[in-house]
Amino acid sequence: MALLELNNIFKTYKIGSVEVHALQGLNTVIKKNEYVSIMGPSGSGKSTLMNVIGCLDTPTEGNYLLDGLTVHSNNSEEAKLDDNKLAEIRNQKIGFVFQTFNLLPRATALHNVELPLIYAGISKKARMEKAHSTLIEVGLGDRMHHKPNELSGGQRQRVAMARALVNNPSIILADEPTGNLDSKTSAEIMVLLDKLHSVGNTIILVTHEHDIAEHAHRIITLLDGKVSEDSKTKNGSKNKLINNNS
Amino acid sequence: MGQLWESFAMAFKDVFANKTRSFLTMLGIIIGILSVSLMGTAISGINNTFENSMEMIGNDVLHLQKYPWFMKGGDWWDFRNRPDMKVEYAEKILQRSKKISFASTEMQNMGNIRYGDNSIQGVFIDAASWQLQFVNSLDLLAGRFYTKAEDRNASKVVVIGYGIKDNLFPNQNPIGEEVRIRGMKYKVIGTLKEQGKFLGLFSFDNMAIIPLRSAYSIFGRRRHMSITLKVREGFEVGEAKEEVRMIMRSIRGLKPAEKDNFAINQQEAFRQQFSAIKMGISGAGFGITALALLVGGIGIMNIMFVSVRERTKEIGIRKALGAKQNIILFQFLSEAVIIAVIGGLIGLSITISLVGLLNKFFVASLSIKLIIISLSVSIITGILSGIVPARKAAKLDPIDAIRYE
Ligand SMILES: Nc1ncnc2c1ncn2[C@@H]1O[C@H](COP(=O)(O)OP(=O)(O)OP(=O)(O)O)[C@@H](O)[C@H]1O
Ligand SMILES: [Mg+2]
Repeated sequence: MALLELNNIFKTYKIGSVEVHALQGLNTVIKKNEYVSIMGPSGSGKSTLMNVIGCLDTPTEGNYLLDGLTVHSNNSEEAKLDDNKLAEIRNQKIGFVFQTFNLLPRATALHNVELPLIYAGISKKARMEKAHSTLIEVGLGDRMHHKPNELSGGQRQRVAMARALVNNPSIILADEPTGNLDSKTSAEIMVLLDKLHSVGNTIILVTHEHDIAEHAHRIITLLDGKVSEDSKTKNGSKNKLINNNS
Repeated sequence: MGQLWESFAMAFKDVFANKTRSFLTMLGIIIGILSVSLMGTAISGINNTFENSMEMIGNDVLHLQKYPWFMKGGDWWDFRNRPDMKVEYAEKILQRSKKISFASTEMQNMGNIRYGDNSIQGVFIDAASWQLQFVNSLDLLAGRFYTKAEDRNASKVVVIGYGIKDNLFPNQNPIGEEVRIRGMKYKVIGTLKEQGKFLGLFSFDNMAIIPLRSAYSIFGRRRHMSITLKVREGFEVGEAKEEVRMIMRSIRGLKPAEKDNFAINQQEAFRQQFSAIKMGISGAGFGITALALLVGGIGIMNIMFVSVRERTKEIGIRKALGAKQNIILFQFLSEAVIIAVIGGLIGLSITISLVGLLNKFFVASLSIKLIIISLSVSIITGILSGIVPARKAAKLDPIDAIRYE
């Protein structure tokens, strides 16, 4: 079943009179519980695509279906969702992991993880329980009350991953999650991502590094705002094999 | 609901995370609320004092005098050239008037009173006819007032105020003792109850009352006299005043075209004067308050704009995680209101500590009503100055905001 469907997506930025075409007729379909890496040269539109998928940004043109919901459509006016509706979708269906972590600097790890639940309107008690267990899940049970500047880069990214996970999203979007980390910490983060995938999460990962990308089961390569290549990785073929056998 | 509460709590934390800045931002509000609450308290205190003082004058008493209490413009020489009041007017008015029950002729002067080796300077000496006790409804602490006969015979007897009794006879019954007033021997026959100060200035307790005629030898017969008239119960003060005016015109033999050459003063004159003063105080207070609140409000608005800019990234993160526009709006609006209300509370507490000081001059207290008004004004100022920055925060584009460094 298709979790998301992108159909002829365009995204054009206007800076004064100059137009930048970040996405130029992109098509792809991603299914539930897929593990996808997005690669491509700098400026090829990877982050733009992630923002469109994550409903942080809306395409200039094209049809976008997420989990059966029309987020953007060329046909009907009503299919263009407003700011608040998009916020609700982000809250319910999307978990973001950013290269620069994007934690609230003055809030504890626990409060950072609580935020999506606050905006989901979940009660204090349920929120605390869920935030606690999620932090334990990412291995930060002993760092709940630390602020971001009291944590290492890897720990910060774990907090961010806990925050992305905590509200049970449909997709986890990770835009260069290891971009600011050394190779050892990167490996730890990837172990965690693999684990999240294995328990049923759908993951889309942007990266410049091949060995990182190989963790996924499928690599989509972008060039000039379009998909130039879409292939399975070794992991993917193995996985396919297991699926075929069952 | 929970979301709103969380946003409010987060706003609260942010205000305290920037204590110095928040405090500086509050200054205008502090001054504004201080001014409105202090002014309100002062006015109510002044009002109380005024009403108490007016009771001392009595609201059913007319003062027939040469000069009006408050000369409005007019020609001072016209007043100056009026004939003086005469002692026989009181009798004549009582004979002809239906609306006046008592009349007392008075001469007033300052003087010293001595008892043994102790003496008090600057005592207010009221030389009045025996009817004064009824005109002014004087309350005696001990002894008695002088009689009609004592008044007519110019007996050397005196009724002393509470302050004088306290000073000259601290541990002694003054009744029957002899004092010297301006060197003249007087026998104390009565003491008055404590009365307090008139308009916080002049003590009615530092007073001695002696028979009018007994004062001729010490003040001289030609002192400035006034006649105090008590309006008979059941008649309006205005009517009685008009009646006295007609009687006086006839006594003085004034022709219809001639102006009155006397003044009938009453409490009302003070009231008019007082309401002008009150208007002045509230006008000035209102001006200061409005100006301070305006400055304070602009200060909050300014700091909120700075805060929104500094926290653009935070706003972006919150929106990425699903915060809707209204929640962001509420968070920043809360912050502005919290700053304003804390400022208001500080202003109020300064007022409370200053009320003690005010109480040295008159009885004043900060009313609940004034506290509620002050806090409402704070909240409104917070909302008005926070709404524009908060809307700006709410409308930020999540992508632009999250990328902001
Ligand atoms: N907000 C924006 N305004 C104008 N142009 C933009 C904006 N965001 C992205 N672009 C442009 O769109 C194109 C695609 O940018 P994007 O960030 O998606 O690239 P990317 O593939 O993520 O690159 P990188 O690997 O360097 O992160 C670039 O040419 C970029 O300059
Ligand atoms: Mg990028």
